[in-house]
Amino acid sequence: MTDLWVALLALFAVWTGWRVFRVDSMVRASFSLMLSFIAVGAIGVLLSAPYIGVATVFMMAVEMMVMAIFMVMFMMNPAGLNPMVMVHQHRLSIGAGVVAALSLGAAVLFSRPPDDAVRAEADVVAELGHELLGPSMLIFETAGVTLLATMVGAVILSSRQGRFGAADEGSRPPGLSDGGAPAGRQPEGGGGHHHHHHHGGHG
Amino acid sequence: MTVLLLVLAVCATLLAGVVLAAVLDRALPELAGTMTRQRIETEAPDRMNRDLAPAFYLALAAEGLSVVPFAPGLALIDSPVGVVIWGACEALTIIVVFLHGWSPNAPFPLIGAYRYAAIGLPVMLPSMFVLIAAALPAESLSLVAIVDSQREIWNVLRQPLGLPLFLVVALALTLRGPMDYADAADIAGGTSAEDSGAGRTLWQVARLAMLVSVSAVAATVFLGGPLGPVLPGPVWLWLKTAVLMAVLIWLGNRVARTTPSRMLTILWVVLLPLSFADLIISGVLAL
Repeated sequence: MTDLWVALLALFAVWTGWRVFRVDSMVRASFSLMLSFIAVGAIGVLLSAPYIGVATVFMMAVEMMVMAIFMVMFMMNPAGLNPMVMVHQHRLSIGAGVVAALSLGAAVLFSRPPDDAVRAEADVVAELGHELLGPSMLIFETAGVTLLATMVGAVILSSRQGRFGAADEGSRPPGLSDGGAPAGRQPEGGGGHHHHHHHGGHG
Repeated sequence: MTVLLLVLAVCATLLAGVVLAAVLDRALPELAGTMTRQRIETEAPDRMNRDLAPAFYLALAAEGLSVVPFAPGLALIDSPVGVVIWGACEALTIIVVFLHGWSPNAPFPLIGAYRYAAIGLPVMLPSMFVLIAAALPAESLSLVAIVDSQREIWNVLRQPLGLPLFLVVALALTLRGPMDYADAADIAGGTSAEDSGAGRTLWQVARLAMLVSVSAVAATVFLGGPLGPVLPGPVWLWLKTAVLMAVLIWLGNRVARTTPSRMLTILWVVLLPLSFADLIISGVLAL
């Protein structure tokens, strides 16, 4: 029964993962990917790793929400409601996909996973906690601090306020056609807002 | 047999809770009124997400309630990571509300969706910290163990910051009052501005069901859940849940909503450090 569920969930994960590249909007793509991860998390729960499985669902929900917002924000396709092609660099991505599939498939076929079932009375969550905060502590703390530094850096880079004035000063949106006039609303009289008169030149 | 009883208990609690919440909210006539009305379509909506969002919201409320113990040691989903399951329900609620606003392809729902995502994500952080703080004295992430750890003293007294912070989370999850950045009147109803007919009723019912669910979780984590003298466990849980529902509805009606940007500052600069303090105090006490 568990085998059947794992197989079904794996198929669902692959199908929703494939949908990521077939749907025409960043929001749909993000949440297709989330469904794929939820299926993987459910497999984790079935394989007696309840904490890792449920935490996958929890973290992917938050992450994909953040990703959807940022994808829409950085795409020149507001709200992701206009149809768009979700794939690019076809040859490279096909090559990378084939290599990844072959190597992961080889890893599955040639490795010998342990086949001793988890003892019914084993406290897997506590054991995982002892592992994370024991022998593996250095790895996880390093990863945690690296991620935190990345987040702080990303916030600083994307912040509008900066030491040398507003970050978007003098920036112009790209044109709708190649080399065309900048898209979006033009500032009236070359001024923009009253508190930064000095960047009149972006028309 | 026990499982069947627990399934019944979850369903009955949700149903009775929704009716009670609708009465307290004075929403019954409206719920019944929109039920049979004709559905009005927006232009080029995402039909799948529009139709599924209310159903998923309701499902998340049911899922959240199913980890709550109705008697000491007796929950429908007696998972060693019950608190994390509830956390996943919270995170998925943000996505469901976002998709509910995104799918009609209309301005006001979309504004509500993005506003809610911006507020909802930082609300997750205090939520996780107060829940972890409650798990510390129990030395377990299981809600059954958290109930057991409150036999001497309830968490609301041991960790006084926990319940108030969790009530803020509850207001956000149920799109209510000061934390209602999704469906507020200032953007013409936000994510449900374009809802009509039975879909509108279902969304509002799901919202009330989430109120039941989040109140039951708060009662379990901070008020000892089914623990109490004389009366049987489920009755105590229902009483505590009903009191918290009334408190949340009262807060929702009484406290004003501020601008999203100011609320973001409050969340990051005030509530998040408070939840850190809660975690530190609970950690030191649990040592």
